[in-house]
Amino acid sequence: MKKVLIIFGVLSLLIFIRPVLGLNTTTKDTNSQGIEQLENVENESFVSEAFEGIKQFYNYTGFANVTGGHLVMIIIGIVFIYLGIKFDYEPLLLIPIGAGVIIGNIPFVAGNMTGIYESGSVLNFLYFGVVKGIYPPLIFLGIGAMTDFSSLIANPKLMLLGAAAQIGVFATFMGALYLGFKLPEAGAIGIIGGADGPTAIFLSSKLANGVNILADGTTVKNLIGPIAIAAYSYMALVPVIQPPIMRLLISKKDRKIRMKPPRAVSQKEKMIFPVAALILTTFISPSSLPLLGMLFFGNLLKESGRTERLADTARTKMIDIVTILLGVTVGASTQADIFITSDSLLIFGLGALSFVIATMGGLFFAKLMNLFLKGDNKINPLIGAAGVSAVPDSARVVHAEALKSDPHNYLLMHAMAPNVAGVIGSAIAAGILLSFLS
Amino acid sequence: MINLPLQIDTISEGYIILATGLFIVFSSLILLTVFFKLGVPALLNAYKALKGLGKKEEKKETSVVIKSEKDFTGETAAAIATALHMYLNEQHDNENAVLTIKQARKLYSPWSSKIYGTHQKL
Repeated sequence: MKKVLIIFGVLSLLIFIRPVLGLNTTTKDTNSQGIEQLENVENESFVSEAFEGIKQFYNYTGFANVTGGHLVMIIIGIVFIYLGIKFDYEPLLLIPIGAGVIIGNIPFVAGNMTGIYESGSVLNFLYFGVVKGIYPPLIFLGIGAMTDFSSLIANPKLMLLGAAAQIGVFATFMGALYLGFKLPEAGAIGIIGGADGPTAIFLSSKLANGVNILADGTTVKNLIGPIAIAAYSYMALVPVIQPPIMRLLISKKDRKIRMKPPRAVSQKEKMIFPVAALILTTFISPSSLPLLGMLFFGNLLKESGRTERLADTARTKMIDIVTILLGVTVGASTQADIFITSDSLLIFGLGALSFVIATMGGLFFAKLMNLFLKGDNKINPLIGAAGVSAVPDSARVVHAEALKSDPHNYLLMHAMAPNVAGVIGSAIAAGILLSFLS
Repeated sequence: MINLPLQIDTISEGYIILATGLFIVFSSLILLTVFFKLGVPALLNAYKALKGLGKKEEKKETSVVIKSEKDFTGETAAAIATALHMYLNEQHDNENAVLTIKQARKLYSPWSSKIYGTHQKL
């Protein structure tokens, strides 16, 4: 019964449709030509327009605008990410910077508010924190809240090693001058020797930002990208750069010197340190106030014992947020057309040199100090190398190097003292260069 | 300001900055060193002396504490801290390794049983 119904239904449907189809065929005859022509025109214009659109779209894509420079920089970005993941070289910095390098070197058509250097683009707003030097003091706040200055308070003379390593800053500064950089540019390049990423970005954003106009009427070059990349990459390479210099300059006998454990430091001293150091250092070098002010403020939050919540935020969430923004925007600022210049190559060369000189300065000064120290108070000259800040990598390198010559010589605590002194020293050096050159 | 000659080349200006810069970096850190070597202990002693003025008896006690503090190095502190940490946080490792699995028995309850809903006559 059902089958009969279905067949009947299908047949009746076919019968009803037939006249509809037949009608169509009859009406087509009357004005078919017009419709056909119209359709043809529409088809043509549609196809050509679609083709034009696709062509235009293609012109906007990265494939049409790519240059060799973009590809080189994207590969560099991937290498950064690879180094961060595979070898664990400062992954917290290299991975954001590497991703930033890729972001900054996706080829695009200018004028659509995409690029980091186009005013009004989102990336440009984030980059504002780099250009105006906002991120570095915030990072210093976090570093201050992380750092334990007690080894420095226990043995204040190690502070001089932090000063000695700043020879690298000024030597690089002279080297840059001899290579033909202008004074402010040379100052910004020199600070790479301070081995302190935030300080380098801070100083280069003030001195070599591409905005300032020099005395002779020319605009200063924008070197923030190359300087920041050089500073951070050499900081990540401290475990590679420093050990050969240490082995070259320090005899095996000296490497085995054991230092007596630092005395216990009372909480009162720890509380006095940030306040006193803030006042003393910034009275001497007021230009380094943004960096040192925040550094010691962060340390006061940590040591006061009453503001643990604030210190905790400063050293965890806040510094993480700022590191993310700083890393990505610094990476993205390496847009190929601005980054791949002969200047960048020179800066990379000078950066390597400055790390070497800074390490040597610290080591030699430690040896010099040993001449005046007697018996138990002698210091292991290796800790001089920790005077280039690069906290805490260079201290770790010193520790590892001392363990190689004597497996029971633990220098980490001692090396932390020149290490944090190096941070203070490079911030002061940055302040001096800023006050001379801006 | 120092009056420098107008046409000074950048290199010699660089050397001036080099010398003064290094001098300032060293002097500020030497100042810090001296302050913490001499100034802070003096301050702390003065503070203790001021505090001790009112209570002469307690002064003896504080001096005793200082003597014992001299032997109390970071290493001792680290050892004590490690012991405390192990005691407080890593007790878990010493737990009995025998596992006892208790059978969680489901008791029958008719509250949502389907069977009561199927045979109802309207």
